[in-house]
Amino acid sequence: MKANTHFAFFDEGSKKEIRRATLKAVAIPGYQVPFASREMPIARGWGTGGLQLTLSLIGKQDVLKVIDQGADESVNAVSIKKLVQKTTGIKVTEQTEKADLIQSRHRIPEVPLTKDQILVLQVPMPEPLRAVEAREYMTKRMHSEDDYSGVWLMLFEQIMKYGKTATAADHPVYVNGRYVMAPSPIPRFDNPKMHQSEALILLGAGREKKIYAVPPHTDVASLAFEDYPFQKESFEGIHCHLCGAEGVFMDELVDQETGKTTHQCNDTSFCMEQLNKQQKAEVASVYG
Amino acid sequence: MAIDQIHDLQQVYRKILHSMSRPGTLSSLEKEAKELDYEQPCKKATMLCAMTLLDAEVTFHILAENGRLIERISEYTSAKYAPIEEADFIIILESDSKQAVSQAMQLCKIGNLIDPQLSSTWIIESNRHTETGNLMLSGPGIEHHAHLQTGMPDVFWQSRRSRIKEYPMGIDLIFVDDNLNVACIPRTTSVTETEVE
Repeated sequence: MKANTHFAFFDEGSKKEIRRATLKAVAIPGYQVPFASREMPIARGWGTGGLQLTLSLIGKQDVLKVIDQGADESVNAVSIKKLVQKTTGIKVTEQTEKADLIQSRHRIPEVPLTKDQILVLQVPMPEPLRAVEAREYMTKRMHSEDDYSGVWLMLFEQIMKYGKTATAADHPVYVNGRYVMAPSPIPRFDNPKMHQSEALILLGAGREKKIYAVPPHTDVASLAFEDYPFQKESFEGIHCHLCGAEGVFMDELVDQETGKTTHQCNDTSFCMEQLNKQQKAEVASVYG
Repeated sequence: MAIDQIHDLQQVYRKILHSMSRPGTLSSLEKEAKELDYEQPCKKATMLCAMTLLDAEVTFHILAENGRLIERISEYTSAKYAPIEEADFIIILESDSKQAVSQAMQLCKIGNLIDPQLSSTWIIESNRHTETGNLMLSGPGIEHHAHLQTGMPDVFWQSRRSRIKEYPMGIDLIFVDDNLNVACIPRTTSVTETEVE
């Protein structure tokens, strides 16, 4: 721990400002609360919103987990983890169930979260209406008027063009029946995990200077039409080539030489846990 | 030992956040209040909330004519005192009359449809809270129903209802009591009074 940095990098005034915005965000689920978004030692658009939330939340007793696209050891996760650890001296973990705070880029862990955990998601584009309307002045008015025809039209056009909604990630959701929200670029697979979640979910967009939230036990519905219901990515008949897990979000890997495709758990800590369990059982059966 | 502005207030914030995201759930500030060793002109939990949330960027209002408390909060937090119509935080003491509170609720700011976050947050001192009681709560953050006893009169909840009916505009409430418990009721929570048996 560096002795010359303030605890959790920020001055207390900055933390207070983020904390006030966070409480308002919790009180108005799905509404993007503007905040000052301080200059951070990493570039805007690289998780500064999530990082600022984490720094405003974290205390000496907390255990932190940081994930980048499901991986604990990817560059973005490691650099954020290091920054928080060096300025606070807190413990970090890779095991989802041992963490109090989980900062994530574009995934919600496979292991269900509990009421004592807080999930912080990094958001590059918090505005679900941005594709339809470039002006912030207008999108704020659309939100205030509950006018989401633009988003519906966007999904409709995708159906016309591709025969299905073609949002690969960041599929818009209705929060508490009032605000349409960008759930951050999590795969559609993770959208249902936001609905009636046990854990508080906070979303931070550093470059766009917005904080928003999904409180626990809040209705989150993915936008869909009656005749084109919402569909998660399907991994039927596919299992992880390392641990054999099924029914989790998979990465597709293509062997450059043979052209053969294999699949692997996207959540690396989940995969590791499965492997450890199998090894333990194997050892027990041989020596037990 | 004096209160630690970094670590103790971080704990207070996390407890307020926990209670705000789970309306009706009590969080105890007992540990942090021990560090607040000065005699305060208000409940210790009130001062802890003020120290956690207020700074020079926001304004506050106190209903009662309590110069000592205004001075103390300004000294501790650098927040400015403002009239009820402008205040970001409104602090209600237990001694405030029902009438004055209801009146204040009609005057306080509730944000607008474009910027609903420009609303006032209330820090309310009341007698003992319990997680059982005549108030039935439902809404985001509550699985089915939650119960709460705050000691506020029915007319208070009626006034609140009149200010939150145009959701997302509204006010968010933080209740504190002598037992150093905090409970929150954000604008999304629907509160109904049930008959006490």
